[in-house]
Amino acid sequence: MKGAISLKVSLPKIPDIELVAIEGLERLAHHLGIADEKIGEARVLVTEAIINALEHSGEDNPLVKVEFTMTKQELIILIRDYGKGFEPSSVEDPDIRGKMGTKDKRGWGLKLMKTMSDDFRIESNDHGTRITIKKLLS
Amino acid sequence: MEQQFTLTSEVRNDCLVITTSGYVNNVGGEKIAQEFTRHFEKGTKKVIVNLAQSKVVNSIGMSFLIDIIDQLNDAGGKMVFTNLDPAVDKMLTIMGLFQFAGKGKTVEDAVALLAIEK
Repeated sequence: MKGAISLKVSLPKIPDIELVAIEGLERLAHHLGIADEKIGEARVLVTEAIINALEHSGEDNPLVKVEFTMTKQELIILIRDYGKGFEPSSVEDPDIRGKMGTKDKRGWGLKLMKTMSDDFRIESNDHGTRITIKKLLS
Repeated sequence: MEQQFTLTSEVRNDCLVITTSGYVNNVGGEKIAQEFTRHFEKGTKKVIVNLAQSKVVNSIGMSFLIDIIDQLNDAGGKMVFTNLDPAVDKMLTIMGLFQFAGKGKTVEDAVALLAIEK
């Protein structure tokens, strides 16, 4: 992409490590002169993608690779884990009414990523999962 | 970027007002739940969560708030969120939280909203 800047980072599973990626995202945006409010939804996407990958990879010591490619117009987020993978079509969208009265209040990550992004792709097999998210910034 | 989670609370017009600062993750969500429980056990059924200083939240942290909303619904109470960052507002909308909780621009708005509740 013309005028794009990129950032790649590998994240181990330690508390709040997703904030490192958020910090990087904010610095890229600042460098390109993108207003903070334009990347608010990107913050949610990055946070959910990373915690999802770290939590569900199935590895003892998971490592998640994150790559941002940003222009003034759009952000591409790649999230890669090397875990056991899963069948995306087997994950049902959660519904708040179905959560009420039950102990399980979690499971929102994929729904949020699919709904808040401008394009969302997921590839998963026995060797891990790769999520590609596009978010328009203008 | 200061994201260390902290909270303060006060009671205004029978409403518990919880004001957070920093990242609302599992730890932050649990702290909110603990503070809620402390007041809920004494009979408080109206809760305001002021997220003005929490621009970054995650769905695990929000799952603790869904649990609080569930308990309040069962008890005939209500939660109102205030001072939401637009992205957090959209996130909570997608999760459907506003089907069961309210939203106010400010804490004062939320207090007024809850004053007309039973």
